[in-house]
Amino acid sequence: MSAPAAPATPSSIDDLPPAIEVRGVRRVYKAKPNPVTALDGVDLDVAPGELFGLLGPNGAGKTTLIKILTTLLLPTDGTARVFGFDVARQTTEIRRIMNIVSGGEQSGYGLLQVREQLWMFSQFYGIPVREGWRRVDELIDAVGLQEQRHQKISSLSTGQRQKLNLARGLMNDPWILFLDEPTLGLDVSAARVVRDLVRGWQAAVPGRTILLTSHYMAEVDELCDRLAIVDHGRILALGTPTELKQRVSAGSIFRLVLDALEGGVEPIAALPGVERAVLAADDATAPDGQTVAVNLQLTDDAVLGSVITALAAQDAHIVALQKSEPTLEDVFVELVGRGFGDAPEGDR
Amino acid sequence: MTQLAGSQARPQRDARGTWQERLLTWRTAVRLGWAVESNWADPVLFLIYSIAKPIASVLMLVVMLQVISNGAASTADLGFVIVGSALWAFVMGGIAGLAWSILDDRERYRMLRYLAILPGSLSVILLGRGTARLLIAGMGSVITLVVACLITGVPIDIGRIDWIMLLVCMAIGLVAVIALGTLMAAVCMQTRQDSWSYPEAVAGALFLLVGAVFPIVVLPQVVQWVGLLMPLTWWIEGIRRAVLPDAASGIGGVGSVWTDVTGTLAPDQGVILVVSMATTAMATLVAFGGYRWSERRARERGLLDRTTGS
Ligand SMILES: Nc1ncnc2c1ncn2[C@@H]1O[C@H](COP(=O)(O)OP(=O)(O)OP(=O)(O)O)[C@@H](O)[C@H]1O
Ligand SMILES: [Mg+2]
Repeated sequence: MSAPAAPATPSSIDDLPPAIEVRGVRRVYKAKPNPVTALDGVDLDVAPGELFGLLGPNGAGKTTLIKILTTLLLPTDGTARVFGFDVARQTTEIRRIMNIVSGGEQSGYGLLQVREQLWMFSQFYGIPVREGWRRVDELIDAVGLQEQRHQKISSLSTGQRQKLNLARGLMNDPWILFLDEPTLGLDVSAARVVRDLVRGWQAAVPGRTILLTSHYMAEVDELCDRLAIVDHGRILALGTPTELKQRVSAGSIFRLVLDALEGGVEPIAALPGVERAVLAADDATAPDGQTVAVNLQLTDDAVLGSVITALAAQDAHIVALQKSEPTLEDVFVELVGRGFGDAPEGDR
Repeated sequence: MTQLAGSQARPQRDARGTWQERLLTWRTAVRLGWAVESNWADPVLFLIYSIAKPIASVLMLVVMLQVISNGAASTADLGFVIVGSALWAFVMGGIAGLAWSILDDRERYRMLRYLAILPGSLSVILLGRGTARLLIAGMGSVITLVVACLITGVPIDIGRIDWIMLLVCMAIGLVAVIALGTLMAAVCMQTRQDSWSYPEAVAGALFLLVGAVFPIVVLPQVVQWVGLLMPLTWWIEGIRRAVLPDAASGIGGVGSVWTDVTGTLAPDQGVILVVSMATTAMATLVAFGGYRWSERRARERGLLDRTTGS
């Protein structure tokens, strides 16, 4: 099979092969004491034009899957195809039509200027010289590095490096872009810029596909058409954010903010009528560490009374109480059996 | 904000891996290497690393030779040592330059993964990245040779230089050095961060085997065999013959493996050329296979984008 010759147009999208087609992929790392099974039989289909999310705790296998799809790593078992091209054998074809941007990196040729490094990549991608410079400047504008265009890369901040990395990732105008925690370490407004840019880029041409991993549930919820929840190298659930949230059994969901919780969540979780009580991960209410947020799922609103009594007995005071709709985090907790907040730190 | 609508960056997408494409990739990598290594172009650093260092080691060898021979070393003996060790700067720079581009891009700049996912082949990119160091080392070698000859009074007679032999040998030697560098890069792709010193250590060990500063007849028989299989041995000998027709032969001599096997005291020019081409071809094949194996294994083990700590 030869590389698809023409860019995807609305009429041709239906003829394209699946953007991602993963069948029974396993990946075992030969690690020191014991081998690590990072992926344990993954099947996944992503259609052209989708913005697909992978959500999972540290060590779930998200990055491993992305490395396999981007031809950096071979699967131990199983097959994976990107736009019909096999990741093990048709690497050149895949490399022409994909790119990857990872977050939280310190990559870059420190001595080069922002513009120079991007230009090098335009040349590696075979863009004619004049057009290459034009493309470089266009991307610099798009990611908002205008003021840094002549700055040495060694002097860029983390967020600026990340924007530079994103500009490099868009250089070949890929059909599919892999984003591994693209907003890691960015401040709120920089993260917003990245998200808007990525979404705008994808929407501009039908068929552009994105596979995104993130720890931020809200980000995945906001951006993704569909997502898969992964843990221990397996896909536990797959669907649109709405579908997944509907899966969480009915009942009442509350978010409690407490001044302290000396006894932990276990005594509360043990109360009759409490289906689940976990520490919240995206703890936006407690940036100072002074408060503790707990997500509760109760069979009925009335159970709240006994929870409050139990808390009072623990000498924990309620700072805020909010009844809420299920979030992806609730879905995650239900599937994985633990909250993001108490997920054990995985090796990176 | 720009829409980044499609179509602008697509022109070359369907071109298959052509030679033209490889050439463009290589050229870009040379530029990248030059730009990244541009502190090498800083005159002071260039003087220290590429000229002062090799000249110093050549002169050190010359002094040692004079001491050992009680000052009786002939200019032919001195020329032997000077040519061999001046060329060594090039070998060192070539082998280390190629191998270090893997380590630099992986450990220091953390860009190896982004180079690895380019459609152009990684080996071509690494070759380009190493070219700057190779060029600089080449210049260093020539300057070292000239300066050392002037200082020690070894006469190089321009009129007696065999230019054709010199050019052919240089071309073969370039291929041989690149092959060895590629092999070293393949090793460094597999090893950990502390392998920075491997290329120079390996080059240093080779130095003793290939008759750079003494004829290989002084080596034990088994080691002589190894030396005779090395393309560098023949390359150095060829250059020496071309530049200094009166210098002693580094290969052969009474009691040497070469003389035992062939019955000749020393190989003539034709033999040197043929054997150096054959050994270089062999080294190139080994390097090619070794590199392919290494890149494949790196993909199996996920070595391309790891950093081993810094
Ligand atoms: N090179 C390696 N050698 C050995 N084990 C590895 C290697 N890379 C990853 N692992 C292991 O594989 C598992 C999956 O790792 P992976 O990086 O894919 O997780 P992840 O979902 O991306 O996690 P995170 O959210 O922390 O980025 C982890 O247990 C990790 O320790
Ligand atoms: Mg990861």
